[in-house]
Amino acid sequence: MDGKKSGPSVVSGVMMASAADQQAELVAMLPRLRRFARALTGQAADADDLVQIAVERALTRLDQFQPGTRFDAWLFSIVRNAWIDEARSRQRRARVFAPAEEGERVGDDGEKTMHARLEASDMWMAMRALPEEQREAIALVCVEGLGYREAAETLGVPIGTVTSRLARGREALQRMLGGPP
Amino acid sequence: MISDEKLMAYADGELDAIERTEVEAALASDETLRAKLEAHRALSARFASAFDGALDEPVPARLLAAAQPQRVVDFAARREPKAKWGYREWGAMAASLAGGLIIGLGAMSGRGELIAATEDGLSARGVLQAALNTQLAVEDGGAVRVGLSFRNRDGEYCRTFALTQQDVAGLACREQSGWQVAMTSAYTPQGGDIRQAGSETPPEILAAVDAMIAGDVLDADAERAAREEGWR
Repeated sequence: MDGKKSGPSVVSGVMMASAADQQAELVAMLPRLRRFARALTGQAADADDLVQIAVERALTRLDQFQPGTRFDAWLFSIVRNAWIDEARSRQRRARVFAPAEEGERVGDDGEKTMHARLEASDMWMAMRALPEEQREAIALVCVEGLGYREAAETLGVPIGTVTSRLARGREALQRMLGGPP
Repeated sequence: MISDEKLMAYADGELDAIERTEVEAALASDETLRAKLEAHRALSARFASAFDGALDEPVPARLLAAAQPQRVVDFAARREPKAKWGYREWGAMAASLAGGLIIGLGAMSGRGELIAATEDGLSARGVLQAALNTQLAVEDGGAVRVGLSFRNRDGEYCRTFALTQQDVAGLACREQSGWQVAMTSAYTPQGGDIRQAGSETPPEILAAVDAMIAGDVLDADAERAAREEGWR
């Protein structure tokens, strides 16, 4: 891949010896999970709620992780599935376009302001406007730096589907964002 | 003729050597194609500037706590607990010592980073770091409360704490690099204004204290003395 930043600890492809190691890697993955969730939800406070749900799920399923596969991709799939569940059960898709009134669990004006500023950026707004399936492909490949094959496995679709979703998603983003910032 | 998808795959590093050569040959002679590639790269830079901030921001304590609820189990399994004067007795004594001596440090605001993931593990920062360095168990720091202080079997000082605004309790030990957070746990604040030293510490943290401690929990004088020595 093209030298994408991968956070403080590179965990991909590492076979982990014990549950304690996995837990340490999970902690090390938190910054990237937050980044992925932000790209997926387009809202900073929602993103942290989602990461929390996903982390709790991941901990109950550590025994299902297949050694030798990528731990980061496995975690992304849990975040993504949790997001689908959340969006379905709470119909968040309708709320995604509401102004950022979140912060009920943030409890700090500075953070709220920061979140509002983040979410008002062109890229966040453009991502929120993308169809779900394009946004998740973009989040995995363009934001998290996964390869097409890994993204396809994470999403459970053929590589060709990922490729076309990426192409359509990028085209839509370029159209929405116009020229350079 | 290079398709848009192929150009995208080139930009993403997904092509094999033969295909790359093909795309690069086309790029050399096709200005429109070069402009499209440039647009891809510009978009990549915008993804980075929009989302990479998450990599540098401190991780909220509630996420750190969610990610490691079982730390205590590992501690308990690794170190055999000693039967001795335990936290309950100590807590009762400290509570009686602390009676009426609850000193307000004023509102220590300025939250921001409290626990940061670093190369060495989880490091205490900001008001948490300050409280671990200077705050005594009898003092009410507002945002941070310090509970029990003790030495672990490596001779390091460790202190339990609660982040009252984040509903997180934890245990940190003073290592070379500073206060390292050994574990965190969900924390339920006690109602009312009257606080008993140590009584708010969640049972799983107390169990870890029991498993790690060498000697006794520091009393108020020993705590003060340790603070004078900079917890070394």
